[in-house]
Amino acid sequence: MRPVADVLIVLALALVAASSTAAVLARDPVRQSTVLALLGLSLALLFAVLQAPDVALSQLAVGSALTPLMLLLSVRKVRRKGKEGGSHRNAGNRTGSTDQEGRR
Amino acid sequence: MNGWLSAAALLLLVGFAPTVWGAASGPVRRRVMAQNLATLAGCLVLLLLAQGYARPSYVDLALVLAVLGPAGTLVYARLLADELAERPARDPVARALGRAMTPLAAVCVPLVVLPLCVATGPGRAMVKLLAIGALLIGGNIVSTRALSARHATGHTPRGTGHTPQATGPERHTTGGQSGAAGG
Repeated sequence: MRPVADVLIVLALALVAASSTAAVLARDPVRQSTVLALLGLSLALLFAVLQAPDVALSQLAVGSALTPLMLLLSVRKVRRKGKEGGSHRNAGNRTGSTDQEGRR
Repeated sequence: MNGWLSAAALLLLVGFAPTVWGAASGPVRRRVMAQNLATLAGCLVLLLLAQGYARPSYVDLALVLAVLGPAGTLVYARLLADELAERPARDPVARALGRAMTPLAAVCVPLVVLPLCVATGPGRAMVKLLAIGALLIGGNIVSTRALSARHATGHTPRGTGHTPQATGPERHTTGGQSGAAGG
């Protein structure tokens, strides 16, 4: 059992390293949010492999749903503020979403 | 005892590692689908780990992930509706994922859950495992349908011929659902 457990730990560590590197290298916050969700998931897998299920439980709850929700909500709020302030960055091609954002 | 951990390592390598690449590159639609697939693979890995370490309480992790994973995908489908609609499914990986997600879940989940049920034997643990499997398949159907629906409704202000695009993914997902219910 010992070598297989070691292989599992090495695999989970490699996955965490790969996904966190990808999260650092992603520049757009919207695209970064999916990588962050995957990073939380692989961290939870690492904690489960390292026999820490309570930490993995809280990491799952935070990483898989709450972090993307917070990130996407803040991105949406920043974009809406930029559009109301007459910013030129996100002007245009978002006419379909104005009613949704006006409801919030 | 050893075989479960080997299966978990294999599933981690084959099922979970490609989704990291899928979620780190490409358009938004492919990233969200890769995240959806990663939730499924991670949940199955957690189930196998619980059996491999002989700790039945680790199954709770898989249960939480089976509930929260589709919730996360629905968050993406709700808040990223613009980005999902902006880019049509030109990406072949995203298109293949969208088509193969529900059959993949319907095949992989029983393939993992049924041997686990045989290993645990009848009782409350087996009912829990079966509930997790049902949650996984159901959540996958719901999230895949939400992504397809967002995609279809996002096309409506773009072109005039939106009806075939709107009915295409819907018909596909309902076909997958009936296949999952039969299998």
